[in-house]
Amino acid sequence: MPEDNKNHKYHLNQLYFYLTEGCNLRCRHCWIMPKYQADGHTYPLLHLDLFRSIIEQAKSLGLSGVKLTGGEPLLHPQIHEILELIRVEDLRLTVETNGVLCTLDLAQKIAACKNTFVSVSLDGADAETHEWVRGVPGCFKAALEGIRNLVEAGFRPQVIMALMRRNKGQVEAVVRLAERLGAGSVKFNIVQPTARGERMHESGETLTIEELAELGRWIETTLSASTTLRIVYDHPLAFRPLGKMFGDSGDGCELCGIVGILGVLANGSYALCGIGEIVPDLVFGHAQKDRLKDVWFKTPVLLEVREGLPHRLEGICNNCLMKGLCLGSCIAQNYYSGKKIWAPFWYCEEAYNQGLFPETRIRPNI
Amino acid sequence: MPDTAKPIPNSLVVLREEFDDWAILFDSATGNAFGLNPVGVFVWKCLDGNRTIKEIVNELRENCEGVPEEAEGHLREFIQDLVEQGLAGYETQKD
Repeated sequence: MPEDNKNHKYHLNQLYFYLTEGCNLRCRHCWIMPKYQADGHTYPLLHLDLFRSIIEQAKSLGLSGVKLTGGEPLLHPQIHEILELIRVEDLRLTVETNGVLCTLDLAQKIAACKNTFVSVSLDGADAETHEWVRGVPGCFKAALEGIRNLVEAGFRPQVIMALMRRNKGQVEAVVRLAERLGAGSVKFNIVQPTARGERMHESGETLTIEELAELGRWIETTLSASTTLRIVYDHPLAFRPLGKMFGDSGDGCELCGIVGILGVLANGSYALCGIGEIVPDLVFGHAQKDRLKDVWFKTPVLLEVREGLPHRLEGICNNCLMKGLCLGSCIAQNYYSGKKIWAPFWYCEEAYNQGLFPETRIRPNI
Repeated sequence: MPDTAKPIPNSLVVLREEFDDWAILFDSATGNAFGLNPVGVFVWKCLDGNRTIKEIVNELRENCEGVPEEAEGHLREFIQDLVEQGLAGYETQKD
Protein backbone atom coordinates (compact mmCIF):
# COMPACT_ATOMS: atom_id res chain seq x y z
CA MET A 1 0.00 0.00 0.00
CA PRO A 2 1.38 3.45 -0.84
CA GLU A 3 2.38 5.78 1.97
CA ASP A 4 2.14 9.41 1.08
CA ASN A 5 4.14 11.92 3.13
CA LYS A 6 1.54 14.67 2.75
CA ASN A 7 -0.92 12.23 4.26
CA HIS A 8 0.97 12.55 7.56
CA LYS A 9 -0.60 15.94 8.16
CA TYR A 10 -3.77 14.10 9.13
CA HIS A 11 -3.86 13.56 12.87
CA LEU A 12 -5.86 10.74 14.35
CA ASN A 13 -7.82 13.05 16.63
CA GLN A 14 -10.42 10.66 17.91
CA LEU A 15 -11.09 6.94 18.08
CA TYR A 16 -14.67 5.67 18.11
CA PHE A 17 -14.79 2.49 20.15
CA TYR A 18 -17.76 0.23 19.46
CA LEU A 19 -17.07 -1.69 22.64
CA THR A 20 -19.71 -4.39 22.47
CA GLU A 21 -21.18 -6.42 19.64
CA GLY A 22 -24.24 -7.02 21.80
CA CYS A 23 -26.69 -4.53 23.17
CA ASN A 24 -29.17 -4.65 26.04
CA LEU A 25 -31.83 -2.98 23.89
CA ARG A 26 -33.36 -3.86 20.51
CA CYS A 27 -33.87 -0.49 18.88
CA ARG A 28 -35.92 -0.72 15.74
CA HIS A 29 -33.97 2.03 13.95
CA CYS A 30 -30.41 1.03 14.86
CA TRP A 31 -27.92 1.57 12.04
CA ILE A 32 -25.44 -0.98 13.42
CA MET A 33 -27.80 -3.83 14.27
CA PRO A 34 -26.09 -5.26 17.37
CA LYS A 35 -27.24 -8.59 18.71
CA TYR A 36 -29.67 -8.45 21.61
CA GLN A 37 -27.84 -9.42 24.77
CA ALA A 38 -30.20 -10.52 27.50
CA ASP A 39 -29.26 -12.42 30.63
CA GLY A 40 -27.16 -15.46 29.90
CA HIS A 41 -26.01 -14.39 26.44
CA THR A 42 -22.72 -12.73 25.64
CA TYR A 43 -21.27 -11.51 22.38
CA PRO A 44 -17.78 -10.33 21.45
CA LEU A 45 -16.35 -7.42 23.42
CA LEU A 46 -13.27 -5.36 22.83
CA HIS A 47 -10.60 -6.89 25.04
CA LEU A 48 -9.10 -4.52 27.60
CA ASP A 49 -5.50 -5.32 26.55
CA LEU A 50 -6.35 -4.53 22.96
CA PHE A 51 -8.01 -1.29 24.02
CA ARG A 52 -4.87 -0.33 25.94
CA SER A 53 -2.59 -1.20 23.02
CA ILE A 54 -4.66 0.83 20.56
CA ILE A 55 -4.64 3.87 22.84
CA GLU A 56 -0.88 3.62 23.26
CA GLN A 57 -0.33 3.50 19.51
CA ALA A 58 -2.85 6.24 18.81
CA LYS A 59 -1.33 8.81 21.14
CA SER A 60 1.72 9.16 18.92
CA LEU A 61 -0.62 9.77 15.98
CA GLY A 62 -2.26 12.74 17.68
CA LEU A 63 -5.07 11.15 19.66
CA SER A 64 -6.79 13.62 21.96
CA GLY A 65 -10.16 12.01 22.57
CA VAL A 66 -12.20 8.83 22.42
CA LYS A 67 -15.85 8.06 21.97
CA LEU A 68 -17.32 5.02 23.70
CA THR A 69 -20.36 3.66 21.97
CA GLY A 70 -21.75 0.31 21.01
CA GLY A 71 -23.80 -1.75 21.04
CA GLU A 72 -23.96 -0.33 24.51
CA PRO A 73 -20.64 0.75 26.00
CA LEU A 74 -21.75 0.44 29.62
CA LEU A 75 -22.51 -3.24 28.97
CA HIS A 76 -18.78 -3.95 28.73
CA PRO A 77 -17.80 -5.92 31.87
CA GLN A 78 -14.54 -3.97 32.16
CA ILE A 79 -16.02 -0.53 31.60
CA HIS A 80 -14.56 0.70 34.91
CA GLU A 81 -11.05 -0.25 33.83
CA ILE A 82 -11.59 1.32 30.41
CA LEU A 83 -12.75 4.58 31.99
CA GLU A 84 -9.80 4.55 34.37
CA LEU A 85 -7.40 4.13 31.46
CA ILE A 86 -9.02 7.07 29.66
CA ARG A 87 -8.71 9.20 32.79
CA VAL A 88 -5.06 8.30 33.32
CA GLU A 89 -4.28 9.03 29.66
CA ASP A 90 -6.00 12.43 30.01
CA LEU A 91 -8.15 11.90 26.92
CA ARG A 92 -11.35 13.78 26.18
CA LEU A 93 -14.27 11.41 26.52
CA THR A 94 -17.58 11.15 24.71
CA VAL A 95 -20.07 8.48 25.78
CA GLU A 96 -23.13 7.48 23.79
CA THR A 97 -25.37 5.33 25.93
CA ASN A 98 -28.97 4.26 26.32
CA GLY A 99 -28.59 5.09 30.00
CA VAL A 100 -30.12 1.86 31.27
CA LEU A 101 -26.95 0.63 32.97
CA CYS A 102 -25.71 4.00 34.15
CA THR A 103 -25.47 3.65 37.92
CA LEU A 104 -24.38 6.56 40.10
CA ASP A 105 -21.05 4.83 40.63
CA LEU A 106 -20.47 4.56 36.89
CA ALA A 107 -21.64 8.13 36.30
CA GLN A 108 -19.07 9.35 38.83
CA LYS A 109 -16.38 7.28 37.15
CA ILE A 110 -17.27 8.89 33.82
CA ALA A 111 -17.25 12.33 35.47
CA ALA A 112 -13.67 11.78 36.62
CA CYS A 113 -12.50 11.86 33.00
CA LYS A 114 -11.48 15.01 31.14
CA ASN A 115 -14.00 17.22 29.30
CA THR A 116 -16.57 14.48 29.16
CA PHE A 117 -19.67 14.70 27.02
CA VAL A 118 -22.46 12.17 27.58
CA SER A 119 -25.56 11.62 25.50
CA VAL A 120 -28.48 9.41 26.43
CA SER A 121 -31.15 8.19 24.02
CA LEU A 122 -34.74 9.00 24.86
CA ASP A 123 -37.15 8.36 22.02
CA GLY A 124 -40.36 9.30 23.77
CA ALA A 125 -41.70 11.18 26.76
CA ASP A 126 -43.49 8.10 28.08
CA ALA A 127 -42.63 4.45 28.58
CA GLU A 128 -45.00 3.19 25.89
CA THR A 129 -43.42 5.24 23.12
CA HIS A 130 -39.80 4.92 24.20
CA GLU A 131 -40.09 1.18 24.69
CA TRP A 132 -41.86 0.74 21.34
CA VAL A 133 -38.73 2.18 19.77
CA ARG A 134 -36.23 0.48 22.06
CA GLY A 135 -37.85 -2.94 22.20
CA VAL A 136 -37.34 -3.82 25.87
CA PRO A 137 -39.90 -3.34 28.68
CA GLY A 138 -38.70 -1.27 31.60
CA CYS A 139 -35.99 0.55 29.67
CA PHE A 140 -37.74 3.94 29.89
CA LYS A 141 -37.68 4.06 33.68
CA ALA A 142 -34.10 2.77 33.68
CA ALA A 143 -33.00 5.40 31.15
CA LEU A 144 -34.50 8.18 33.28
CA GLU A 145 -32.70 6.80 36.31
CA GLY A 146 -29.46 6.77 34.32
CA ILE A 147 -29.94 10.41 33.35
CA ARG A 148 -30.65 11.34 36.97
CA ASN A 149 -27.44 9.58 38.02
CA LEU A 150 -25.47 11.52 35.44
CA VAL A 151 -26.99 14.77 36.66
CA GLU A 152 -26.17 13.85 40.25
CA ALA A 153 -22.58 13.19 39.16
CA GLY A 154 -22.40 16.73 37.83
CA PHE A 155 -23.27 16.30 34.15
CA ARG A 156 -25.87 18.05 32.08
CA PRO A 157 -26.20 15.21 29.57
CA GLN A 158 -27.55 15.52 26.08
CA VAL A 159 -30.84 13.77 25.37
CA ILE A 160 -31.01 12.32 21.87
CA MET A 161 -34.33 11.54 20.25
CA ALA A 162 -34.59 9.69 16.94
CA LEU A 163 -37.55 11.05 14.99
CA MET A 164 -40.09 8.71 13.46
CA ARG A 165 -43.77 8.67 12.66
CA ARG A 166 -44.68 7.06 15.97
CA ASN A 167 -43.00 9.67 18.20
CA LYS A 168 -43.08 12.90 16.20
CA GLY A 169 -45.94 14.17 18.36
CA GLN A 170 -43.71 13.95 21.45
CA VAL A 171 -40.96 16.29 20.38
CA GLU A 172 -41.96 19.11 22.70
CA ALA A 173 -42.78 16.72 25.55
CA VAL A 174 -39.27 15.25 25.31
CA VAL A 175 -37.78 18.75 25.59
CA ARG A 176 -39.89 19.45 28.69
CA LEU A 177 -38.89 16.09 30.17
CA ALA A 178 -35.23 16.88 29.45
CA GLU A 179 -35.64 20.22 31.24
CA ARG A 180 -37.10 18.51 34.31
CA LEU A 181 -34.36 15.89 34.34
CA GLY A 182 -31.57 18.48 34.25
CA ALA A 183 -30.26 17.74 30.76
CA GLY A 184 -28.12 20.33 29.01
CA SER A 185 -29.30 19.85 25.45
CA VAL A 186 -31.62 17.88 23.23
CA LYS A 187 -30.60 16.58 19.84
CA PHE A 188 -33.11 15.34 17.30
CA ASN A 189 -31.73 12.70 14.96
CA ILE A 190 -33.14 11.64 11.63
CA VAL A 191 -33.41 7.87 11.20
CA GLN A 192 -30.88 6.91 8.55
CA PRO A 193 -31.81 4.30 5.95
CA THR A 194 -29.15 1.89 7.17
CA ALA A 195 -29.67 -1.62 8.55
CA ARG A 196 -32.80 -1.60 10.76
CA GLY A 197 -33.38 2.04 9.87
CA GLU A 198 -33.59 1.04 6.24
CA ARG A 199 -36.43 -1.34 7.07
CA MET A 200 -38.25 1.47 8.86
CA HIS A 201 -37.90 3.65 5.79
CA GLU A 202 -39.24 0.86 3.57
CA SER A 203 -42.24 0.28 5.81
CA GLY A 204 -43.17 3.97 6.02
CA GLU A 205 -42.40 4.27 9.74
CA THR A 206 -40.05 7.18 9.18
CA LEU A 207 -40.97 10.74 8.27
CA THR A 208 -40.84 12.05 4.72
CA ILE A 209 -38.30 14.68 3.70
CA GLU A 210 -41.08 17.24 3.54
CA GLU A 211 -42.23 16.38 7.06
CA LEU A 212 -38.67 16.45 8.38
CA ALA A 213 -37.93 19.80 6.76
CA GLU A 214 -41.11 21.29 8.22
CA LEU A 215 -40.47 19.79 11.65
CA GLY A 216 -36.90 21.08 11.51
CA ARG A 217 -38.04 24.63 10.84
CA TRP A 218 -40.44 24.50 13.78
CA ILE A 219 -37.86 22.97 16.12
CA GLU A 220 -35.11 25.41 15.13
CA THR A 221 -37.29 28.49 15.44
CA THR A 222 -40.36 28.09 17.68
CA LEU A 223 -39.38 25.22 19.96
CA SER A 224 -35.76 26.27 20.51
CA ALA A 225 -36.97 29.77 21.46
CA SER A 226 -39.16 28.28 24.17
CA THR A 227 -36.41 26.61 26.18
CA THR A 228 -33.05 27.42 27.71
CA LEU A 229 -31.75 24.04 26.60
CA ARG A 230 -29.53 23.93 23.57
CA ILE A 231 -31.54 22.35 20.77
CA VAL A 232 -29.89 20.59 17.84
CA TYR A 233 -31.85 19.37 14.87
CA ASP A 234 -29.50 17.08 13.04
CA HIS A 235 -30.44 17.60 9.44
CA PRO A 236 -27.76 18.37 6.86
CA LEU A 237 -26.08 21.77 7.03
CA ALA A 238 -27.76 22.90 3.81
CA PHE A 239 -31.05 22.94 5.73
CA ARG A 240 -29.77 24.73 8.82
CA PRO A 241 -30.12 28.50 9.18
CA LEU A 242 -26.69 30.16 9.19
CA GLY A 243 -27.62 32.04 12.35
CA LYS A 244 -28.21 28.72 14.12
CA MET A 245 -24.69 27.63 13.28
CA PHE A 246 -22.62 30.81 13.45
CA GLY A 247 -24.64 33.43 15.34
CA ASP A 248 -23.90 34.62 18.87
CA SER A 249 -26.21 31.92 20.18
CA GLY A 250 -25.26 29.48 17.43
CA ASP A 251 -24.54 25.87 18.22
CA GLY A 252 -21.85 25.11 15.67
CA CYS A 253 -21.92 22.79 12.73
CA GLU A 254 -21.80 19.40 14.46
CA LEU A 255 -19.41 18.30 11.76
CA CYS A 256 -18.36 14.74 11.27
CA GLY A 257 -14.60 14.74 11.73
CA ILE A 258 -14.20 12.02 9.14
CA VAL A 259 -10.62 12.91 8.25
CA GLY A 260 -9.52 12.70 11.87
CA ILE A 261 -11.35 9.69 13.24
CA LEU A 262 -11.16 5.94 13.04
CA GLY A 263 -13.53 3.29 14.31
CA VAL A 264 -12.57 0.27 16.41
CA LEU A 265 -15.10 -2.52 16.40
CA ALA A 266 -15.81 -4.88 19.29
CA ASN A 267 -13.91 -7.70 17.62
CA GLY A 268 -10.78 -5.54 17.37
CA SER A 269 -11.15 -4.59 13.70
CA TYR A 270 -10.42 -1.08 12.49
CA ALA A 271 -13.12 0.51 10.38
CA LEU A 272 -14.29 3.84 8.96
CA CYS A 273 -16.69 3.92 11.92
CA GLY A 274 -19.43 1.61 13.21
CA ILE A 275 -20.53 1.07 9.63
CA GLY A 276 -17.83 -1.62 9.55
CA GLU A 277 -20.19 -3.82 11.59
CA ILE A 278 -22.44 -4.19 8.55
CA VAL A 279 -20.25 -3.18 5.56
CA PRO A 280 -17.11 -5.34 5.36
CA ASP A 281 -15.63 -3.08 2.62
CA LEU A 282 -15.13 -0.42 5.27
CA VAL A 283 -13.11 -2.62 7.64
CA PHE A 284 -9.38 -1.85 7.38
CA GLY A 285 -7.50 -4.41 9.39
CA HIS A 286 -7.32 -5.81 12.88
CA ALA A 287 -5.65 -4.47 15.99
CA GLN A 288 -4.06 -7.83 16.80
CA LYS A 289 -2.11 -8.06 13.57
CA ASP A 290 -1.95 -4.61 12.01
CA ARG A 291 -0.08 -1.58 13.32
CA LEU A 292 -2.44 1.34 13.83
CA LYS A 293 0.06 3.66 12.14
CA ASP A 294 -0.06 1.54 8.99
CA VAL A 295 -3.83 1.42 8.99
CA TRP A 296 -4.09 5.18 9.51
CA PHE A 297 -1.55 6.18 6.87
CA LYS A 298 -1.84 3.43 4.25
CA THR A 299 -5.47 2.34 4.00
CA PRO A 300 -6.58 3.20 0.44
CA VAL A 301 -10.12 4.20 1.43
CA LEU A 302 -8.86 6.61 4.09
CA LEU A 303 -6.34 8.11 1.65
CA GLU A 304 -9.07 8.50 -0.94
CA VAL A 305 -11.42 10.20 1.52
CA ARG A 306 -8.72 12.67 2.60
CA GLU A 307 -7.73 13.46 -0.97
CA GLY A 308 -11.22 13.70 -2.36
CA LEU A 309 -13.29 15.57 0.20
CA PRO A 310 -15.21 17.66 -0.64
CA HIS A 311 -14.50 18.17 -4.35
CA ARG A 312 -15.21 14.58 -5.45
CA LEU A 313 -18.65 14.44 -3.89
CA GLU A 314 -21.33 13.72 -6.47
CA GLY A 315 -24.96 14.64 -7.07
CA ILE A 316 -26.43 17.53 -5.13
CA CYS A 317 -23.51 17.37 -2.70
CA ASN A 318 -21.23 18.50 -5.50
CA ASN A 319 -23.39 21.55 -6.14
CA CYS A 320 -24.03 22.44 -2.52
CA LEU A 321 -22.51 25.64 -1.15
CA MET A 322 -22.10 23.97 2.24
CA LYS A 323 -20.00 21.07 1.00
CA GLY A 324 -16.76 22.47 2.38
CA LEU A 325 -18.23 22.27 5.87
CA CYS A 326 -20.68 19.43 5.50
CA LEU A 327 -18.30 17.05 3.68
CA GLY A 328 -21.20 15.01 2.36
CA SER A 329 -22.85 14.75 5.79
CA CYS A 330 -22.00 11.06 6.36
CA ILE A 331 -19.61 9.18 4.11
CA ALA A 332 -20.51 5.89 5.79
CA GLN A 333 -24.19 6.37 5.07
CA ASN A 334 -23.41 7.48 1.51
CA TYR A 335 -21.39 4.34 0.90
CA TYR A 336 -24.15 2.18 2.31
CA SER A 337 -26.81 3.85 0.18
CA GLY A 338 -24.85 4.53 -3.00
CA LYS A 339 -22.20 1.77 -2.90
CA LYS A 340 -19.43 4.31 -3.38
CA ILE A 341 -17.59 6.81 -1.22
CA TRP A 342 -18.61 9.83 -3.28
CA ALA A 343 -22.33 9.13 -3.49
CA PRO A 344 -24.46 12.07 -2.36
CA PHE A 345 -26.21 12.09 0.99
CA TRP A 346 -29.61 10.46 0.56
CA TYR A 347 -31.58 13.17 2.39
CA CYS A 348 -30.18 16.00 0.29
CA GLU A 349 -30.50 14.08 -2.96
CA GLU A 350 -34.13 13.22 -2.24
CA ALA A 351 -34.88 16.76 -1.16
CA TYR A 352 -33.32 18.12 -4.34
CA ASN A 353 -35.29 15.72 -6.53
CA GLN A 354 -38.49 16.77 -4.77
CA GLY A 355 -37.74 20.49 -5.10
CA LEU A 356 -37.23 20.82 -1.35
CA PHE A 357 -33.51 21.62 -1.29
CA PRO A 358 -32.90 25.25 -0.23
CA GLU A 359 -32.30 27.30 -3.38
CA THR A 360 -29.81 29.61 -1.71
CA ARG A 361 -27.54 26.69 -0.86
CA ILE A 362 -27.18 25.46 -4.44
CA ARG A 363 -24.24 26.64 -6.52
CA PRO A 364 -25.57 29.37 -8.79
CA ASN A 365 -25.23 29.06 -12.55
CA ILE A 366 -23.17 32.01 -13.66
CA MET B 1 -5.38 51.86 2.42
CA PRO B 2 -6.08 55.64 2.54
CA ASP B 3 -9.26 56.90 4.18
CA THR B 4 -10.52 58.04 0.77
CA ALA B 5 -10.41 54.47 -0.66
CA LYS B 6 -13.80 53.11 -1.63
CA PRO B 7 -14.22 49.34 -1.55
CA ILE B 8 -16.06 47.50 -4.31
CA PRO B 9 -17.22 43.90 -4.57
CA ASN B 10 -15.63 41.35 -6.87
CA SER B 11 -18.10 41.08 -9.74
CA LEU B 12 -17.74 37.29 -9.77
CA VAL B 13 -19.10 37.03 -6.23
CA VAL B 14 -22.79 36.31 -5.76
CA LEU B 15 -24.77 37.25 -2.64
CA ARG B 16 -27.46 34.66 -1.73
CA GLU B 17 -29.79 36.19 0.86
CA GLU B 18 -31.77 33.94 3.19
CA PHE B 19 -34.99 34.22 5.17
CA ASP B 20 -33.32 35.24 8.43
CA ASP B 21 -31.28 38.11 6.91
CA TRP B 22 -28.11 36.07 6.86
CA ALA B 23 -26.57 35.36 3.46
CA ILE B 24 -23.96 33.33 1.64
CA LEU B 25 -21.27 34.89 -0.51
CA PHE B 26 -20.35 32.55 -3.33
CA ASP B 27 -17.14 33.14 -5.23
CA SER B 28 -17.75 31.61 -8.63
CA ALA B 29 -14.05 31.80 -9.50
CA THR B 30 -12.93 29.58 -6.63
CA GLY B 31 -16.14 27.78 -5.68
CA ASN B 32 -15.72 28.98 -2.10
CA ALA B 33 -18.72 30.03 -0.02
CA PHE B 34 -18.79 32.28 3.05
CA GLY B 35 -21.54 33.02 5.53
CA LEU B 36 -22.47 36.63 6.32
CA ASN B 37 -24.47 37.77 9.31
CA PRO B 38 -27.09 40.52 8.85
CA VAL B 39 -24.60 43.31 9.58
CA GLY B 40 -22.17 41.77 7.11
CA VAL B 41 -24.94 41.71 4.51
CA PHE B 42 -25.68 45.39 5.16
CA VAL B 43 -22.01 46.25 4.75
CA TRP B 44 -21.68 44.14 1.61
CA LYS B 45 -24.50 46.09 0.00
CA CYS B 46 -22.68 49.31 0.80
CA LEU B 47 -19.61 48.22 -1.17
CA ASP B 48 -20.60 50.06 -4.29
CA GLY B 49 -17.41 51.99 -4.96
CA ASN B 50 -19.06 55.24 -3.88
CA ARG B 51 -18.53 55.05 -0.11
CA THR B 52 -15.42 55.16 2.04
CA ILE B 53 -15.22 52.96 5.13
CA LYS B 54 -16.04 55.97 7.32
CA GLU B 55 -19.14 56.62 5.24
CA ILE B 56 -20.20 52.98 5.55
CA VAL B 57 -19.84 53.21 9.34
CA ASN B 58 -22.05 56.30 9.28
CA GLU B 59 -24.64 54.39 7.23
CA LEU B 60 -24.50 51.61 9.82
CA ARG B 61 -25.05 54.04 12.68
CA GLU B 62 -28.04 55.57 10.89
CA ASN B 63 -29.66 52.21 10.19
CA CYS B 64 -28.71 49.96 13.10
CA GLU B 65 -29.08 50.25 16.86
CA GLY B 66 -26.28 49.71 19.34
CA VAL B 67 -23.37 50.18 16.94
CA PRO B 68 -20.30 50.16 19.22
CA GLU B 69 -17.60 52.81 19.33
CA GLU B 70 -15.06 50.43 17.88
CA ALA B 71 -17.23 49.62 14.84
CA GLU B 72 -14.91 51.36 12.40
CA GLY B 73 -12.00 49.18 13.43
CA HIS B 74 -14.13 46.03 13.10
CA LEU B 75 -15.33 47.17 9.71
CA ARG B 76 -11.79 47.77 8.48
CA GLU B 77 -10.85 44.24 9.60
CA PHE B 78 -13.91 42.77 7.94
CA ILE B 79 -13.26 44.52 4.64
CA GLN B 80 -9.60 43.56 4.80
CA ASP B 81 -10.73 39.93 5.21
CA LEU B 82 -12.95 40.29 2.16
CA VAL B 83 -10.04 41.72 0.18
CA GLU B 84 -7.69 38.96 1.27
CA GLN B 85 -10.26 36.34 0.28
CA GLY B 86 -10.58 37.97 -3.13
CA LEU B 87 -14.21 38.88 -2.53
CA ALA B 88 -13.72 42.64 -2.66
CA GLY B 89 -11.13 45.24 -3.70
CA TYR B 90 -10.70 48.96 -4.20
CA GLU B 91 -11.42 51.03 -7.25
CA THR B 92 -8.17 51.93 -9.00
CA GLN B 93 -7.73 55.71 -9.18
CA LYS B 94 -6.96 57.07 -12.64
CA ASP B 95 -4.24 59.72 -12.80
